[in-house]
Amino acid sequence: MTAQAHIVVQNLGKIFTTAKGARQVTALDNLNLRVQEGQFFSVLGPSGCGKSTLLRIVGGLIESTSGSVSIGNGTGPRDAQRAKEIGFVFQEPGLLPWKTVADNIETPLILNRKANRPRQHTIKELLELVGLEAFADAYPHQLSGGMQQRVAIARALAFDPKLLLMDEPFGALDAITRQLMRYELLRIWERAQKTVMFVTHSIPEAIVLSDAVAVISPRPGRLRGIVEIDLPRPRTEEVERTPEFLDYNDHLKDLLLREEKNHGTSD
Amino acid sequence: MEQATEMVQTPILSSSQRWRIRLRTLTEIVLPPGIFFILIIFGWQIYITVREIPAIIMPKPTAILARLLEDPGYFFIENGLLTFSEALAGFAVGAVAAIFLAVVLARSRALERSIFPLAVVIKATPLIVIAPLLIIWFGYTIYPKIIMAALLCFFPILVNTIIGLRSVSPTSLEFFRSVAASEWEILIRLRAPHSLPYVLSAFKTSVTLSVIGAVVAEWSGAGEGLGRVIYIQAAHLDQSSVFAGIVVLALMGVLLTAIVGWLEQVLLFWHESKLVG
Repeated sequence: MTAQAHIVVQNLGKIFTTAKGARQVTALDNLNLRVQEGQFFSVLGPSGCGKSTLLRIVGGLIESTSGSVSIGNGTGPRDAQRAKEIGFVFQEPGLLPWKTVADNIETPLILNRKANRPRQHTIKELLELVGLEAFADAYPHQLSGGMQQRVAIARALAFDPKLLLMDEPFGALDAITRQLMRYELLRIWERAQKTVMFVTHSIPEAIVLSDAVAVISPRPGRLRGIVEIDLPRPRTEEVERTPEFLDYNDHLKDLLLREEKNHGTSD
Repeated sequence: MEQATEMVQTPILSSSQRWRIRLRTLTEIVLPPGIFFILIIFGWQIYITVREIPAIIMPKPTAILARLLEDPGYFFIENGLLTFSEALAGFAVGAVAAIFLAVVLARSRALERSIFPLAVVIKATPLIVIAPLLIIWFGYTIYPKIIMAALLCFFPILVNTIIGLRSVSPTSLEFFRSVAASEWEILIRLRAPHSLPYVLSAFKTSVTLSVIGAVVAEWSGAGEGLGRVIYIQAAHLDQSSVFAGIVVLALMGVLLTAIVGWLEQVLLFWHESKLVG
């Protein structure tokens, strides 16, 4: 399989200046990554390691201080965003409470219309994809947290972007729903065929979902290593009981903890 | 997933359940204040009758009602409708101006920083004191009344609208940015609907303020209007007319508040404050 690079991150750095300008915090330091087309790529790290910052730079929401990000054929994040090449799912669903589920999913098609493609997903297809056909006319407050997040995923896929960025999308869910959503997301991803960049601090989540996991160390955010996850697909919950899964788990934990000891555990 | 594993929390009500809720609304919300109100009116009537308090000090409720029924055209149409129109026109002018300025201020931090504190100070000032000045500038016309009503409405709506436009959920905002929505789209499709609960809550305060503004300006100088009626009849010691005017003003305030309350019910069906647990 000769996969094309979809995202190329080169020497990426981000320095935040605190509100009063008194202190500078290095969030990301000289980061290099390649995400292949169609790959499920996770970014794993403890809170405050700059993994969300990385995702926001790739998504064109914030500017980097140094280095470059190229998406597809060498376009920058801002241009990719303007061309609706990127779908974004956040930790909170961020749905519009005055709109029905169907209207929420349609929102990105109403915004920035000139970038719309001639062939979009229909709302019906999207509802069916995330298993919410029966809830088209429901309002967000009538849905559970997991269902709201599924609406957010459908919304991000509405304009058929090639790239899906997910920032701890299951972080605000309870443990059981979170477990279910992993496999729900795998099912959606296997059908939708997107490149996914997925930020998480959960090791099992990263293993179950990913083709490759980048481990990022905190303060400053540096790449600790990239681990290819060579488990057969499609994956079911059984995968979490295989010895290979446990090996990956130990390996990733080692990578994470080694760095934490060097830098202390303060948050 | 063939079927959704989670349940929708809000059930559909059957018609018998709906009637039970209506009955409960009647007994729990309408009845207690209704009974209390009737008791007060009774107490008032009995007290004045028993203590033989003269009508120029305090009229009986029956006398007020008699005065109202004797000349309803005078209170409701000739003067009431005028005051109502002044208040409503003032409210409309104040609301439109306040929302327009709020949108401008919410766009620019620098502008907001220079103007917003001043707006808060003026909001806290009893603006009605400038009513005599407005009469000097504009004479015995309807303009001082509309301006006074508009001024009183303006600042609460301005302050609330700015807060509302700013209080957008950060995730919703990031989502709009992530699809490269324009600032205009963010304003119209995200900030404006989000600010609606704040704007309507300011409307609720402001509609009654607009009546106060119109009445105070009429007090300071006018040919007609309920403010004028109350002012002149108080000078003539005709207290039942004074109270008849007050009753009409109270009804006006209740009507206007009820209209905004109804708007809230219709427009904010999605907001936390309107969701039954």
